[in-house]
Amino acid sequence: MSVAEVEDVGYAGENADAEERRRLERTWWSPKGLRGWLTDVDHKAIGKRYVGTALVFFALGGIEALLMRLQLARPEARLIGPDRYDQLFTVHGSTMMFLFAVPIMLGMGTYLVPLMIGTRNLAFPRLNAFSYWVYVAGGLLLYAGLFTNTGPDAGWFAYVPLSGPAFSPGKRVDIWAQMITFTEISSLAVAVNLITTIFKHRAPGMSLNRVPLFVWSQLVTSFMVVFAMPAVMLCSLMLALDRLVDTHFFNPSEGGDALLWQHLFWFFGHPEVYIIFIPALGMVSSIIAASTRREVFGYLPMVMSLVATGFIGFGLWVHHMFATGLPQLGASFFTAASLMIAIPSGTQIFCWLATLWGSRPRFTTPLLYVLGFFFVFVIGGLTGVMLGSVPLDLQVHDTFFVVAHFHYVLIGGAVFPLLGGLSFWLPKMTGRRLSERLGRLSFWLVFVGFNVTFFPMHQLGLQGMPRRVYTYLPETGWGDLNLLATIGAGILGLGVLVFVVNALQSLRHGEMAGDDPWGADTLEWSTSSPPPSYNFLRLPTVAGRYALWSRRDDQPEVTGLRSDRREMLVTNLLDAEPDHRDVLPGPTIWPFILACGVAMTFIYAIFNPWGFVVGAVPCAVALIAWFWPRGDMDRDVIMEKRS
Amino acid sequence: MSAIAEKPALDVSGLPTVADGPRAPLWWGVTGIMAIEGTMFAILVATYFYLRGAAVEWPPTGVRHPGLGITTLNLAILLASIVPMYLVARAAGRQDLKGIRLWLLVSTVLMVAFLAVRGFILTGLTFRWDSHAYGSVVWIAAALHTTHVLTGTGENLLFLALLLKGPVEDKHMVDLRLNSMYWYFVVLAWVVFYCIFFLDPGLLQVR
Repeated sequence: MSVAEVEDVGYAGENADAEERRRLERTWWSPKGLRGWLTDVDHKAIGKRYVGTALVFFALGGIEALLMRLQLARPEARLIGPDRYDQLFTVHGSTMMFLFAVPIMLGMGTYLVPLMIGTRNLAFPRLNAFSYWVYVAGGLLLYAGLFTNTGPDAGWFAYVPLSGPAFSPGKRVDIWAQMITFTEISSLAVAVNLITTIFKHRAPGMSLNRVPLFVWSQLVTSFMVVFAMPAVMLCSLMLALDRLVDTHFFNPSEGGDALLWQHLFWFFGHPEVYIIFIPALGMVSSIIAASTRREVFGYLPMVMSLVATGFIGFGLWVHHMFATGLPQLGASFFTAASLMIAIPSGTQIFCWLATLWGSRPRFTTPLLYVLGFFFVFVIGGLTGVMLGSVPLDLQVHDTFFVVAHFHYVLIGGAVFPLLGGLSFWLPKMTGRRLSERLGRLSFWLVFVGFNVTFFPMHQLGLQGMPRRVYTYLPETGWGDLNLLATIGAGILGLGVLVFVVNALQSLRHGEMAGDDPWGADTLEWSTSSPPPSYNFLRLPTVAGRYALWSRRDDQPEVTGLRSDRREMLVTNLLDAEPDHRDVLPGPTIWPFILACGVAMTFIYAIFNPWGFVVGAVPCAVALIAWFWPRGDMDRDVIMEKRS
Repeated sequence: MSAIAEKPALDVSGLPTVADGPRAPLWWGVTGIMAIEGTMFAILVATYFYLRGAAVEWPPTGVRHPGLGITTLNLAILLASIVPMYLVARAAGRQDLKGIRLWLLVSTVLMVAFLAVRGFILTGLTFRWDSHAYGSVVWIAAALHTTHVLTGTGENLLFLALLLKGPVEDKHMVDLRLNSMYWYFVVLAWVVFYCIFFLDPGLLQVR
């Protein structure tokens, strides 16, 4: 139901609706300007910020990659020295994993999930604001390090003993460890927020078996975050303590164990891959459904595959450690699990192909990116199956073959769907469509550039070129393929640039998108583009898996939610039957202050363990102020304020 | 499309504005925190056994049991605090502000007593976090858990202040019940660590 249509209704209805809209706008207001930045709790504002900030880090990580490619373009180049090069690949990897991929995927969820399930905000709006600021603090810390020549240089997985106090003096690794803490706090907060919102705030009728596939993907991802990220928070804390107060977790001479680090890190690190990849699968499903105007083939196997991936993803971590001399029996268990993950991934690919089969899809930019995803991701999946086997892994461990593999999986599996997803949803976020011409151009540049960059790396790896070397000798014969890869990186960079230009240009010159430019099925397309601060004039109800396609003419709408305070409908977990009404808080500065306190605590603690004690004070003050009722929510009072 | 105004409506104005247990969104938030921290504690337990399994000597020379009596006494104090916290939750269910205040105060006293005994135990340990890996893992577990107890105590004090000063809203009753639920988790976590640390056969031998 578009806004225009609603306003065509008879005079009386129009007046009542306009009045309701005014009330909702007053209640769900978003402060503007700097104040808005610091206090807003709207999931759309924060979601957009997440996406925008993550894209800035994507650009920074990309520039680092280009610098590395320039250095490697020919043998014995002298553009970047070994020390700088170490910082560049470490910050590149850390940026792409912690500051780009995870935040942008969860940011898309922050923006889209409440719209897709038909509610007005996330369950915990202040926690959402807090999570964003903690994430920003982590990013600033990492780049403050890089720009002062204190960039972490022990690789994005910071193996001990290299990252330990004996071999990495100075503060470089500490900056890495605290950046991890910041970004993980942020992701954990978003994950709990998304789980609660998806479980408790779905539109009436959206039972669990009618939840859109994108929302399922966000739900599975959030659960993975909850159980994976504590591992890295704990081990990065242990590493920081080993460095700061001489604990011995990873020091073998005092009973510690260096391999313990690898276990703890990869117990997080492998699920991390799926945390990045699963939301992208949700985007693919949304785009395919809209492009073919068909229901995605096999809803149940699709959902089961997501859930299965979520579980199996926790049983793979040791395949990163095959070269450490683990017992063979253990290694073969992890080989089996690694190969097993191909089953749910394959199931999904076949379901999408079945959806596309015989349909007449519209080959718009989003679908092009999805098709590119199929091609690139399947290649990455195949090399993944190869690497899952111990003998092959031992041969190519720490070579460019591995670099090629994980870029095929991560860029293919996450960045291609993401660029498709952004092309798909930006019209909803901004209200304007992107240019198809520039969109196609960007796709082909990215697609060609990507393959020219990373395909030769398979060969380089097989020829024995190790990863993380700042240069190589001419006699190795690696020069030509490296030059080719660097040319490819230039084309890839150009493709991303065209994408950005297209997005920026659409803000001014883009054609108006209207409510539903793609004829898509999920609820976000039933409200205006961009959506109002309260999302829906009246909350929708749902009669099928594809909410807008299965909507009946007499589909009821929710009435009776108060519009003079921020009321949200709470529904029950399985069947989404209306249960009660909850009241949400409005804009507030305290999440920002708390994030500052947390940032102060952990940055101080890089230098002095008393940072934890000193920092606790501002954090406690901010939490008390956050919690203390201000009476602005108009709740029932049991005991009045005493003076 | 003229029928919009007369569209069937799903009127929710009669629904309550507070709900308890898994019906409440906040229950899921607190459960999420418990899942996160429970995972963290579980990984810490795994770390302990990983290091223990690889160790030549466990515990290392010079480590003495801080005393089965005092550590068990402290566990008992902690377990006892569950009772008043449960009574707080029950009183909150009845909106009985007097009862809430009383039992909050009793549980807070027990928490402070626990912290005092814990301080005594920690200062009496024969090893530090930088003595060896055994020391590191025991101290980090104790420090993380103490942080939780401190936070729990702080929350109780905050609730007490709110209950004395007001305004107390209906939603605070849900908050109080969830505060109790979280406390049970904090207590339970230490039961696990108590068994692992203080009933460790290796450590019991050097009592």
